[in-house]
Amino acid sequence: MQDTFKEKLLEIIDKNPSFKFLFAYSDWETDFLRFYRSQTNYNISKRATALNTTIYKGKKSLSFSITNPTIESLLEKVDEAMITIDALPEDPDFVDIEKDTRKAEERIKANNIEQMSLEKKISYLTKLADAVEPYKFKIYGTFICNNEYTHLITSNGLDKIMRFSPIYFEAKAVSDINQVTVLEAFGSENALSFDIDSIIKSLIGKIKNAQSEVVDVDPGEYEVILAPRCIGEYISYYTWSCCSASSLDHKNTLLEGKLGEQIFPANFTLIDDPRNPMIVNFDYNGEGHLYEKTPIFENGVFKNFLVDSYYANKLNMTENGAQGACLVMNTGDKEFDEMIKSTKKGLFISSLHYMNFINPKESSITGLTRDGTFLIEDGKLTKVVNNLRFTVKISDIINNITEIENKAHTFPQSDNYGQFSINSFSMPHVKVKAFNISSSTKTV
Amino acid sequence: MKKLVQDIITNLSVPSITFADVRFTTTDDESIYFEKGNLRYKDASLDSKSLGIRVLINGCWGFAGTTDLSKKSIDYTMLKAISNAKHGSLFKREKVDFKAIDPTIASYMHTPKENPFIMDSEEKIAYFANIATKLTKNEKIVYSNVSASFYRQYKIYANTEGTFTDSLVYDVLPSMMVMASDGRQNYSRKWPGDMNARRGGFEKVRAFEFEKNTDRIIKEAIDLLSAPSIEEERADLIIGASHLALQLHESVGHATEADRIFGMEISYAGKTFVKPTMLGNFQYGSELVNIFSDSTLENGLGFHIVDDEGVPARRADIVKNGILQDQQTSREIAQMLGLEPSSNMLATHADEIPLVRMSNFCLGAGKGSLDELIKNTENGYFVDFTKTWSIDDNRYNFQFTTEIGWKIKDGEIVGIVKEPTYFGITPEFWNSCDAICGEEEWDLHGTFHCGKGEPGQVKHLSHGVAPARFRNVVVNVKA
Ligand SMILES: [Zn+2]
Repeated sequence: MQDTFKEKLLEIIDKNPSFKFLFAYSDWETDFLRFYRSQTNYNISKRATALNTTIYKGKKSLSFSITNPTIESLLEKVDEAMITIDALPEDPDFVDIEKDTRKAEERIKANNIEQMSLEKKISYLTKLADAVEPYKFKIYGTFICNNEYTHLITSNGLDKIMRFSPIYFEAKAVSDINQVTVLEAFGSENALSFDIDSIIKSLIGKIKNAQSEVVDVDPGEYEVILAPRCIGEYISYYTWSCCSASSLDHKNTLLEGKLGEQIFPANFTLIDDPRNPMIVNFDYNGEGHLYEKTPIFENGVFKNFLVDSYYANKLNMTENGAQGACLVMNTGDKEFDEMIKSTKKGLFISSLHYMNFINPKESSITGLTRDGTFLIEDGKLTKVVNNLRFTVKISDIINNITEIENKAHTFPQSDNYGQFSINSFSMPHVKVKAFNISSSTKTV
Repeated sequence: MKKLVQDIITNLSVPSITFADVRFTTTDDESIYFEKGNLRYKDASLDSKSLGIRVLINGCWGFAGTTDLSKKSIDYTMLKAISNAKHGSLFKREKVDFKAIDPTIASYMHTPKENPFIMDSEEKIAYFANIATKLTKNEKIVYSNVSASFYRQYKIYANTEGTFTDSLVYDVLPSMMVMASDGRQNYSRKWPGDMNARRGGFEKVRAFEFEKNTDRIIKEAIDLLSAPSIEEERADLIIGASHLALQLHESVGHATEADRIFGMEISYAGKTFVKPTMLGNFQYGSELVNIFSDSTLENGLGFHIVDDEGVPARRADIVKNGILQDQQTSREIAQMLGLEPSSNMLATHADEIPLVRMSNFCLGAGKGSLDELIKNTENGYFVDFTKTWSIDDNRYNFQFTTEIGWKIKDGEIVGIVKEPTYFGITPEFWNSCDAICGEEEWDLHGTFHCGKGEPGQVKHLSHGVAPARFRNVVVNVKA
């Protein structure tokens, strides 16, 4: 944001003390390569600049956004909003906008659109495609670099800059013969940690497992080993739905009145940890509150709801700014190989698809497996299994964790519905008993 | 702006570029949201402009988009699109190829009866505030919300084949919901359901008769607390139009987007069980089942003059008398399958790349009213109002939960049941369809929220449906 523009924002705040303003200026750029059948599908470059503004007058508020804002367009909209706001009804529960003016230590972040050039991306993809070709597999996926900048300025004195430049790489290897699919992903802001050789090694290992016969299994309860991204996805659904202050307000969580109580077994600890070196780091949450390490469950004891400023005021809770974007689960004491070896009959689940709550209060959910579901027999991955549907309660999954890997893995997540934003989690493999498979899809 | 678009096309009309198109959009979005009777948000993004340039060079697509319309930015965007195509072509074995199309030059300006962007703001807020307040007037209702979104988009599309069109459309998306609780369990009811978007202005909001339906959803949500659950393993289901629109969307609409056949969506949205060899012979549904994509239906959110690669609007018969006949395609994919392009290549905004998307995706009407269909059903359930939806990577195994079901016994509705969950396999399910209601029950039901592609795009589209009956469906799935 140019200095003259920022000065104008501060001037608007100064000149209008009977209003409160929240300005978020963002500049978002992406270079997005999508590939299929071991070749380019398309390359996209996109750049968008926007100013999101919310104006408050007492308990009334009004928001608007302007793409590619100029001082003239801003002044016009602000003048208009200061008049129209009078006619709006009040929100009696609203007290104040974010007040946390504490700043995180500024970190230099490289622009990964430049670090990970299109030439580099193409050379990595060519190497990967060549490596899987002998197995009669092709690669499909996305290779994304974002460079984002948001500057938050408010009447409560917040003046904070958030920068992100994540790399998100997801490659699926799909069999030419029967469409069996396996997956490898990378998500980080450190371009130097992108190691195509280790990605190739890992993907080839999965392809070798995927060359066995494809079988079906009957519905019923199974012992399952969940890949880190699977347990991460379950836990994140649970955290966002059952552990948010808004769910408390909506009377839609069983955790009401349960702070400090033992909810899960003592082997389960979950922390929202935005500075964890394993994952994409955040300085602030969306409101500009300092985003700090917050335990959600500690040895199974429920420690914190995710509390933003609105619900902190409404429910008289302490705001913690946690938003569940940096979930880190504890590791255990088992080698991954041991976990497989000690499984007499079970399933290994690599990835999940299309989950939706049936009953959010009870955390019951349905969804499917994809990108590699395997049968485990006598301690070995023996066969590929068709994608399966599960209908389960997430709380049951956490309660039924019997073994936890001694190592954590990072995997990226993307919010594909808003502006493509990227975060990541760190999770181990876990073994879960009595996992309910409700039907087979009869396809891979 | 038309001149600017034309100038870009002129610049791109050079021998080294096989094909190019340029889009410009100005989009207005406004949304209002009440929670527990109070206005939480009123948000607007007005006059949001963007431009996108797509080029085909050496058999590879390159695309660039921007919100900055300065000359410097447009020149940069053009160069980026070209550079993206050239670099991409270094990792490309099968070159993109398609047939030329005769140019279309046309303009379409839609005028809603009640323009939501110029109507009195106080009147608009008061309309929803009144409903929001009504929803809070029962102590068993622990949560409620009312929301409305208004949308207007002006678009220019031009390509190097000489096509040049512009259009203006308006859509609305109003909704309300309540949640009843007895302290232990919660049950919710929405109105008018999840396929509640309509093409038009505020007149389409009024047509939903929100005020008239507030008492009804409050009562139904409270009654669900003490209602029984379904006990049978299998039952005959009559599916109401609002939920059937979603059933059609997930299990036929997405399954017949042909980019999925070639794996172009594997990394995110998924694959499809449909194979090119099934065209012309696969029994997708019973003989009653006729499914078509029709972007010429002006009342649908999927209406257009041309799609976002210049293919004129048309009807494509996807399933005819139960047999799979056609696909939703782009020009490139139609060529790969030996089909005519179906006019389904669409983007949400100009700075996004077009993808194979549903426009107005419809189940053809059968005969008779819903009342008659219920009368002719011995034993079963009428289900509607989506609660949970989920379908697999290949669009083959789905499981849906609706908010409410009505038990039918000897042709009469005898009571309600809690949140029926049913499960099915796509072709088995559509082959079990033995009745579809007639024109009098058929309407276009729309959404603003169909997600696809990376970076993600959420698309407006419609489904024409009438309630239909499916025999012997698995209805008893428990978590
Ligand atoms: Zn969709």
